[in-house]
Amino acid sequence: MAVKERSAYRNVGQGIVRLDGEEKVKGLAQYADDVPVPDAWYGEVVRSPVARGRLRALHLDPSFDFDRVCVVTPKDIPGKNIVDLMGQDMPFIAFDDIQYRGEPVALVAAPTRELAREAAAHIKPEIEKLPSIETIREVVDKYLNGHPDDLHEMAAQTIVKGNISDGFAAADKIVVGEYWAGHQEQLYIEPQGMVAIPEDDGGVFIQGSLQCPYYIAPELIVTLNLPLEKIRVKQTAVGGAFGGKEEFPTLIAGYCALLALKCRKPVKIIYDRHQDILYTTKRHPVWTRQRTGVKKDGTITAMEVDFVLDGGAYTTLSPVVLYRGILHTTLGYRCPHVFVNGKVFRTNTFPNGAFRGFGAPQAIWGLESHMDEVAAAIGMDPEEFRLKNALHLGDATGTGQIISEPMGTPDVLIKTLEQSRFSDKRALNTRGRPRDGKYHGIGLSFFGHGSGFTGDGESRLKSKAALDLEYFENGKAGVNIRISSTEMGQGTMTIMPQICADGLRIKIDQVRCPFPDTKYVPDSGPTVASRTAMVVGGTVFGAAEKMRKALEEFASSSLFGGEIVELDEDQFTGAISGKSRSFQEVATAYLKQHGNLRVYNQFKLPDTIKWNQKTFEGDAYPSYSWGCNVAEIEIDALTLELKTTKVTCYFDIGRLINPVLAKGQVEGGLIQALGYAVMEKMDIKDGLYDASRMQTYVVPTALDIPDFDIHFIEYPYGHVAPGAKGVGEMPMDGLAPAIANAVVGALGVRINDLPITPEKIFRALESRREMAITA
Amino acid sequence: MKKITRTWIINGESRSVETPPARRLLDVLRENLDLKGTKEGCGEGECGACTVMINGEIAVSCLLAAGQVKDGAEILTVEGLERTEGGRLVQKSYLDKGAAQCGFCIPGMLVSTYAFLRKHPEINEETIKDAHAGNICRCTGYVKIIEAVQAAAERWPANEGGPS
Repeated sequence: MAVKERSAYRNVGQGIVRLDGEEKVKGLAQYADDVPVPDAWYGEVVRSPVARGRLRALHLDPSFDFDRVCVVTPKDIPGKNIVDLMGQDMPFIAFDDIQYRGEPVALVAAPTRELAREAAAHIKPEIEKLPSIETIREVVDKYLNGHPDDLHEMAAQTIVKGNISDGFAAADKIVVGEYWAGHQEQLYIEPQGMVAIPEDDGGVFIQGSLQCPYYIAPELIVTLNLPLEKIRVKQTAVGGAFGGKEEFPTLIAGYCALLALKCRKPVKIIYDRHQDILYTTKRHPVWTRQRTGVKKDGTITAMEVDFVLDGGAYTTLSPVVLYRGILHTTLGYRCPHVFVNGKVFRTNTFPNGAFRGFGAPQAIWGLESHMDEVAAAIGMDPEEFRLKNALHLGDATGTGQIISEPMGTPDVLIKTLEQSRFSDKRALNTRGRPRDGKYHGIGLSFFGHGSGFTGDGESRLKSKAALDLEYFENGKAGVNIRISSTEMGQGTMTIMPQICADGLRIKIDQVRCPFPDTKYVPDSGPTVASRTAMVVGGTVFGAAEKMRKALEEFASSSLFGGEIVELDEDQFTGAISGKSRSFQEVATAYLKQHGNLRVYNQFKLPDTIKWNQKTFEGDAYPSYSWGCNVAEIEIDALTLELKTTKVTCYFDIGRLINPVLAKGQVEGGLIQALGYAVMEKMDIKDGLYDASRMQTYVVPTALDIPDFDIHFIEYPYGHVAPGAKGVGEMPMDGLAPAIANAVVGALGVRINDLPITPEKIFRALESRREMAITA
Repeated sequence: MKKITRTWIINGESRSVETPPARRLLDVLRENLDLKGTKEGCGEGECGACTVMINGEIAVSCLLAAGQVKDGAEILTVEGLERTEGGRLVQKSYLDKGAAQCGFCIPGMLVSTYAFLRKHPEINEETIKDAHAGNICRCTGYVKIIEAVQAAAERWPANEGGPS
């Protein structure tokens, strides 16, 4: 399918001001805690104080008057006591096994938050304590040292290409590296929040801060024992999500709904920040070991990867995080022999879940640190080594997917190297000898990011979009976009009208994209996986073309005496008469004559996409975005404080829909990646995250940001117009290894464990000094 | 619980509230006065989403008890920005530069910008970063916020503010 030339677009490609911006700068946007809900009760969760055990009893303190409150225990659940996510292994409310500290044992609602908390404090679980495993270090220790029976494997997947032993046999050198990273908290500024309102027909209306309305509604069917049409879900304004509001909101929505259906009152739960950090999902901690065979001339002959994720207590989405992770452990490079062994194991901590990048940042952290190590081992420059092995048009990935249309590999790499003057600056690396009281280093990373669902996921999902031609409340005719894609700051509410207006060829002020409500919108799939602009955008564009044709036909027969009519630049024009009527005139005539017009469209992957979900062979993603990061750093020789001074990058995200919003995504993602790389530290203490408040979980502020030099190169996705690929996740992928590689340049030692804190730099320098003394 | 009455000038209007003295100013604003623009991000003074201006100085309203704010105090929240030329300029500048993404930190961020600019300090990238270091944004990476503050500073009305 041909992609239109850029000139065909009026709104796509323009940095128009975000359409939900005005209400945001006026303080009028209504987030979950701002929506007025008369007579709402407040919900609280009673939680397990131990990480693993067996629940023996639940004691309600007789001195407390429980008649004033509503308590929900497993016996009050109308359906099955499970959270309908992958594995179906997580109960909504624990009734026997306890698998993590903080696991719910009861729910409480009361007319005030204070009373709900007081009631919760008077419910005491009696738990027989059992031994627990709480960290990725314990998992890997057991995995590598012959105690696999102590571990609970939640998911496993391999990727096999060629024959790995042949690959190693052909190598002149084999290089091994291990890389670790800990938890990362999404830290959206608006904490999780949800309200459930019981409906007269026995159903429930759920509103709140969420990414995926069509996760919550179908997932609660089993638990609430209600049909889908009686579980209505509507999104409020969302104050950031980053994956943290992908699968988790089903839990808080379920707590509210269970309480609301029992006490017949609206029930609201807004987590405070401490609760939000302790009892919501995090990025999966990882251990990855890369073993690469390479020839003296730099040709990669074999890539063998172990990739282990800490899944937390229950399966949730971990298998899919694993899949995206392993698919990115070798991505970007030509290699005939690949073996990737991925596993997720249980730990007794809150289930880990979706976070911007979804396994890819963990994989690319290992891969791109390792590529520098491989280059160094054969005495090659890191840029030269990458240029030699980077995928070109016609090359195959680790799953055998052929790069079949022009993409940003290796273009982003070439351009970033030039723009940053990488090779010149690399010569100035201090390699452990400070200059003017500082260590200086420059580092590189190059990476791809799969756009859309893994494999043939988009074929199974059949993303739908609808457009409604109807009257707006201002009396004008206009088009409402009905999709389940959510605005969470990234710009859905702005880019969709841009795309729709261009598909219809009308002015954008006649198009709107309201908050999704499952009562009105079809399932366009979740707002995840860098798929919204590409897949849902393409589906909306197709729907807009259909609506344009329908209106052209109507205009022709009703207003133009049957001649051929074309809608362009907001005007319907007769091919013969040359006379014109505006979109408003024709749309109003249509509405008067026929009433509202709804048009549907559905996304379809091209038939050429072939994927084997069992063997992980074939076309792993519909397309790929590409990026390259060059980081320049300084480390104070006295305090060992690391400052990232400059980041240069090129990104290929396909067709740019809105350059201002796209750049905002990149800047924000890079800063979140900066936090992951050097600041955001979270360990487990007594089964809980030790950094459980904003005071202790430190994220970048305005004082921490580097100079940015950000560029885009457009290689549009050819299958659907307008040809966007993903932008949301990719900025998270590559900065940590670029900084780690810069640290090697600055200090001459590698740190293989994120985040790279001054303490770790100190230890790395000390161990090098000790090695120098003993040598 | 014993309650006190406080009368403040909020966004230019005199308003009285009856409240327990220990109630957080944030809750009084949001719940008693229905000024929902001011947000709670952390409840411990770290994120700055609840920033308001009191007598010309910024304060985090989650760490102030209502009883600590004296009668007659002038309080400005995000809803009050529209009343002044400088406030409207700051709003428009954020909008034009794409400085608001999810928007949840923005009410506090805007108040910090407004309080900063009306003091006519030396305006450069470093002073802007310093003045906003108490407001955490997880979406933008701060770049467009800094650009918005610079753009507003260039057109700041001469008659606006000055330390009060």
